[in-house]
Amino acid sequence: MVIMKAMGIESDQEVVQMIGRDPRYGALLLPSIQECVEENVYTQQQALEYLETKVKRFSFSYGSVEKEGRALSIIRDVFLANVLVHDLHFRPKCIYVAVILRRMMEAVLNKDAIDDKDYVGNKRLELSGQMISLLFEDLFKTMNSEVKKSTDNLLEKSSRSSKLDISQHLARDIITHGLERAISTGNWDVKRFKMHRKGMTQVVLRLSFIATVGHMTRILPQFEKSRKVSGPRALQPSQWGMLCPCDTPEGEACGLVKNLSLMTHVTTDDEEGPLISLCHSLGVEDLELLSGEELHAPNSFLVMFNGLILGKHRKPQHFATALRKLRRAGIIGEFVSVFVNEKQKCIYIASDGGRVCRPLVIADKGISRVKEHHMKELKVGIRTFNDFLRDGLIEYLDVNEQNNALIALYEGEAVPETTHIEIEPFTILGVCAGLIPFPHHNQSPRNTYQCAMGKQAMGNIAYNQLCRMDSLLYLLVYPQRPLLTTRTIELVGYDKLGAGQNATVAVMSYSGYDIEDAIVMNKSSLDRGFGRCIVTKKLTAINQKYANNTMDRIIRPQRVGRDAERMQILDDDGLAAPGEIIRPYDIYINKQSPINKEISVHSPAGLPDSAYKSAIQTYKGPRGETAVVDRVALTSDKDNNLCIKFLIRHTRRPELGDKFSSRHGQKGVCGTIIQQEDFPFSERGICPDLIMNPHGFPSRMTIGKMIELLGGKAGVSCGRFHYGSAFGEPSGHADRVEVISETLVKHGFSYSGKDFIYSGITGSPLQAYIFMGPIYYQKLKHMVLDKMHARASGPRVMLTRQPTEGRSRDGGLRLGEMERDCLIAYGASMLIYERLMVSSDPFEVQVCRACGLLGYYNYKLKAGICSTCKNGDNISTMKLPYACKLLFQELQSMNIVPRLKLAEA
Amino acid sequence: MDGVVSYQRFPKIKIREVKDDYLKFELRETDASMANALRRVMISEVPTIAIDLVEIEVNSSVLNDEFIAHRLGLIPLTSDRAMSMRFSRDCDACDGDGQCEYCSVEFQLSVRCDQDQTLDVTSQDLISLDPSVVPVDVAARSSSTGFDATENRGIIIVKLRRGQELRLRAIARKGIGKDHAKWSPAATVTFMYEPDIHINEDMMESLSLEDKRNWIESSPTKVFDIDPSTHQVVVVDPEAYTYDDEVIKKAEAMGKPGLVEIYAKETDFIFTVESTGAIKSSQLVLNAIQVLKQKLDAVRLTEDTEEADEQFGELGAHMRGG
Repeated sequence: MVIMKAMGIESDQEVVQMIGRDPRYGALLLPSIQECVEENVYTQQQALEYLETKVKRFSFSYGSVEKEGRALSIIRDVFLANVLVHDLHFRPKCIYVAVILRRMMEAVLNKDAIDDKDYVGNKRLELSGQMISLLFEDLFKTMNSEVKKSTDNLLEKSSRSSKLDISQHLARDIITHGLERAISTGNWDVKRFKMHRKGMTQVVLRLSFIATVGHMTRILPQFEKSRKVSGPRALQPSQWGMLCPCDTPEGEACGLVKNLSLMTHVTTDDEEGPLISLCHSLGVEDLELLSGEELHAPNSFLVMFNGLILGKHRKPQHFATALRKLRRAGIIGEFVSVFVNEKQKCIYIASDGGRVCRPLVIADKGISRVKEHHMKELKVGIRTFNDFLRDGLIEYLDVNEQNNALIALYEGEAVPETTHIEIEPFTILGVCAGLIPFPHHNQSPRNTYQCAMGKQAMGNIAYNQLCRMDSLLYLLVYPQRPLLTTRTIELVGYDKLGAGQNATVAVMSYSGYDIEDAIVMNKSSLDRGFGRCIVTKKLTAINQKYANNTMDRIIRPQRVGRDAERMQILDDDGLAAPGEIIRPYDIYINKQSPINKEISVHSPAGLPDSAYKSAIQTYKGPRGETAVVDRVALTSDKDNNLCIKFLIRHTRRPELGDKFSSRHGQKGVCGTIIQQEDFPFSERGICPDLIMNPHGFPSRMTIGKMIELLGGKAGVSCGRFHYGSAFGEPSGHADRVEVISETLVKHGFSYSGKDFIYSGITGSPLQAYIFMGPIYYQKLKHMVLDKMHARASGPRVMLTRQPTEGRSRDGGLRLGEMERDCLIAYGASMLIYERLMVSSDPFEVQVCRACGLLGYYNYKLKAGICSTCKNGDNISTMKLPYACKLLFQELQSMNIVPRLKLAEA
Repeated sequence: MDGVVSYQRFPKIKIREVKDDYLKFELRETDASMANALRRVMISEVPTIAIDLVEIEVNSSVLNDEFIAHRLGLIPLTSDRAMSMRFSRDCDACDGDGQCEYCSVEFQLSVRCDQDQTLDVTSQDLISLDPSVVPVDVAARSSSTGFDATENRGIIIVKLRRGQELRLRAIARKGIGKDHAKWSPAATVTFMYEPDIHINEDMMESLSLEDKRNWIESSPTKVFDIDPSTHQVVVVDPEAYTYDDEVIKKAEAMGKPGLVEIYAKETDFIFTVESTGAIKSSQLVLNAIQVLKQKLDAVRLTEDTEEADEQFGELGAHMRGG
C-alpha cells in the first residue's frame, strides 16, 4: 500500500478498486491500509519519505539520485523493471502491481489458483544467442569505458602533438578475448549482470553418432543439482511432446537434465512493436483509458503481451481467433502464441524466445486440413514441411496455447470440437529413446537406461570418421542397420550410421557363465567379425619454441645402438611412420630439447648436439598388446609451435568381460566364449551368436525385447525390415505381434518364436523349446583391456613411500579401513601387519629408549645414534611404517614431540 | 573281457542328395554320440587352407590393414590339398615360419584404381602361386559348374577410388576350425532325429474333413496332407516336422488326445551338410570320418601303454578296464 502511494495513487479507495471490490480482498488488504495510517503515510511525498528510511544508504552517491531520493529511483528503475516508466508516469506499474496483488490474494484464498512453477509453459530455455548477447553487451560496454578513459587521459594532456585518432584506442581485442575465454572455459562471469555461471559451454560428445545428436538436444537446469527436491524432477504432464519422458540421466541430475523431443522447436525472439500495434488495431483497449474499476470488469479479458499488460479486450475469443488466423496466414510469425486463460480472464500473447513449441496438424471441426493429396505431394517431393506450415495446414503451438486446443491423437479419434491432430505419437520421444523398438512395451526405467547406454555404444560416428583426429574414438568394424527399425531411426539416420550388430540370440541357460546378466558368446561369430572394434587414440607432441629463440628439434633415429630397437618404427624424419606396428615403450617421436631455455643464444639454429637433451616420447599401452600408427598429422598450435599428432589404432575382438547391451537397457558382460561346435543348433543349422540367460526377463519386464526378437526373426525370414516405433501399432509404424507370428508360421517357424534345439555338446535335443532370434546388440565402450589392473610390487609415492594409487600409475589395491576392520574383528593380526606395513612402507628406524625420539644409523660407526641425546647408548632398532615416521617428523616440526615408549614384545 | 556283449554296431549311410556344396544323407543304426562327433569334427577339425599371414606393402584404401587382413582370412580357398599338407607349426622343411611349399601357399595382390568409377578388389585379384589353392569362386568359375559366371563377381575385399592402391603378399596355411572359424570348411552342419509318426487312423476317421484340414493347418511346416481321393490324412514329409508339438497340442485341443503319436527315432539321423566350398561336401564328410578315425586311433594306441596313465590319468586306467 505504501508503494502504491509512492507511485502516486494516494486514495485507498482507488487501490481497492484496482485490485477488485470483493470484500474478501478488502479484508486481506486491511492490515496494509492500517499500517499506512499508523505510519502516517497519506500522500506520495510521505510514502517516499517513509520508504527512504527503509533504503540502505550507500556511502558513495549518485548526483541525480540524491536529488529525487533513492526510494523513487528504486521504484522507478528496479521495482518491476520490465514495466517501463516514462516521465514518472507510474500508472502502468500501479496496474501491474494491482494485478499481482489480486493474483496473490486469489492464491491465498483459493489454493487452486497457485501457479505451478514446474509447468513447462512457465519456463523458458536460454539459448546460446541470449548468452552471447549478454556477454557481448558486457564486453562492449567495458570496451567503451576503456576507450573513454584512455581518450580522456589523452585529451587532458595540455600539449597534444597529433590529432585524436579514436581508432588507436579502440579494439585491443577486448571483445575477442572475452568471448574466446568465456567459450573455451565455459565460465560466464558477467559482473554487470551479477552472473557467475560455470559449464555454460561443453565440448560436443563424439563418442557415437547418437551421443552427438543426444548431446545437442540436451537441456541443462539452472539451479544446482544437489538439492533434494522432487517437484522439478517429476515428469510434468505439460512436457508432453516437448521434452522426452524417457531420456534423463540416472543419479543426481535425474529429472533435471532433460532432452528435447523429436519435433520440438525452441523459439527465438520475435519483434514486439508490430505485434503490439496489431493488437491495438484488433481492438485492445489501452489501460490509460480505463479506470481502476474497469480493470477487472467481468465481461472483458486482460491482454498480456510477453509478460506486460497491454490492455483489455471485450471479445477475447474473437481476438484470439483473429490473431491465430493471421498467424496461419503467415502475416505474423509462426511461433507467436495466443493463449486464452478463462480462469484468470487473461489473454497471453507471447513472442519471446526460449519457449518450446511443436507442430500439430490443424483440424477444422474435427476434420484434418492435411488431405491425401497433400501427402501424395509430399511423397513425390513437390511439398516440404515448410509448405505445410505456409499453407496453414500445420502450425506450431507452445505449451500454453496447447491448453486452448483439443488435440486428437489420431485422425479417427477426432470429434467436432477437435482443433488439432497429432502428427505422430512417437514424436513425444527424443532421439535416444526413439532408437528403442517397442518402447511402449517396456518397463519405463528400462527405456531410461537405454537412453543413457545408447550413447556409449560403439559404431559409426560420422561420415568423416576416418578423417577425424579425435583424442579417443571407438569404431565398430562391421556396424549393421538394425533389423527392427523405428521411424525415428530412419529420420535421424541411425540406419546409416548404426552402432551395433544384429546377433542371433538364444534365450537359455548355458554353462553357468551366464549368471548375473553375463552373456555367452560364440567363438566362431567373433572370428567372423562380430563385436570387433577399432580404438584409436591420439598422441600429441609439440615442437616447443622457447623464449631465447631456441626450439626443440626432431632428429634422425639411431639405427644401431642401445635405443635402436625402440626406434624401429621411426622414419628417417624422426617420427613414427603410418602403418607401423607400435608396442609399449616404443619411441614415436625422437625429439630433443635444448638444455638452455632461458638465456639467449646468439645463433639458435647452430647449437651443438651437446646443447640438447633427449625428450623422446614413448607409447604407453597395455602390455603385450600391439597397436598400429594410423596417421600422423603435422599442424601448428595456437602459439605457432609445430604440433605433431599421432593416431594410434588398435583393433580388438570381444573378450571376457567386455560389455554388451541390447536396446532395452539390458546390459551384460561377456561371461565366456565357447566354440561353435559346443553351441546349440537347430535343425535348420542355425546356431546362435550369443546366449542370454532367461532370468534377465521376469524382473526387467522388457517385453519390447521379446517383440524385437520375434520381429527380427520374421524380418530375416521374409526379407523385410520390420518396424517397432513407439505407439506405432494403430498407425502402422509398428508391426503387431499377431502379424509377426503369422509371418513366422508362414516360414516354418513356431508362432512363438521358439525353436527346437539340439545340444552341441551331446547332440541330444534340449528339453525345452528355445526362444531364439536376432536382437540388435550394441557393444559398449567399457572394455576389460582398458580397465584390468593388477600389481605385485611396483612404483611408490615419493613422500610416503607407499604404493601409488590408481590404474594409470600402476597403483596397488588398497586394503581400506573397512577391510581392516574385518581383519581386526577376525583377529588376523599377522595379516594386518603384513598388509599395512610389510607390503606397504616398512622402514627401519633407530629409537632412543631414553628420550623416545628417532635417531639415525651411522654407517661409519655401524651403530644407531640418537641425535637428541648425542649418544648411541640406548638405541633400539625397530620397524615402522614410513608414513608413521613421517608423521613424527612433521609433528616435531610444529613443536609437538611424539615420544615412543618401547617395551619387550 | 571275454563274454561281454559286444555293443559294436555298423552304422549305415545313405546319401540322398549330393551337390558340390550341399549334401544330405541318412545316418542309421548308431546313436547321438556318433552323429554329434561327426558333426563336431566337420565343423572344427577338418583342416582347410586359409590366409593367415598378410604382409601389406601399400594400402591407401579406406579400410585399415587389420581390416583387410581379416577379410582376406575369411575368403575360402580350395583345400583339397589340405589333408596332405603339414601344419606350419610341425613343418620340418621350414622353421615354422610357414614359408615353404609343404605348409604354405603364397598369394599376391596388387591393385590400383586409375579410373573414375570405384574399383572392387575381389578374390579374383588374389594371385595364387599354387594353382591348386585358389579362392573358391575362382575355382568355380574355371570349372563353370554350379555357379552362374556372370553373377559371380568374386568376394569383395575392398573398394578403391581413383588413386588408391592395395598391394600385399599373403600366406595361406593349413589350419582347423577350432583355432579360427576361417579354417572351418562347414557353413552349416546339422542333423535331426528322424521322426516316427503314427496316425491313429480310427480316431482320424472320426474327424470331419473340416477338422482334418484345421488339424493339418496347425502345423507350421507341411508334414501332413489330405489325400484328395480318399480324404485320408497322410504323412507327406515326416522330415519337415520340427518337433514343435503343434499337431499334438491341436489334437488335444480338439478333444482327441492320441490322434497322432510322434517319436524321435534315437538311432536314425538325417544330416545336412553345407560346405563353404573349400572342400566338396562329400569330401568333407569323408575327411571328417578320417579325422575321427585318427583321433580314435590315437586313443587306442595309447590304450595299453604306460603313457596312457600319464596322458589320461585315471581315465587311462579306466580305459584299460581297471
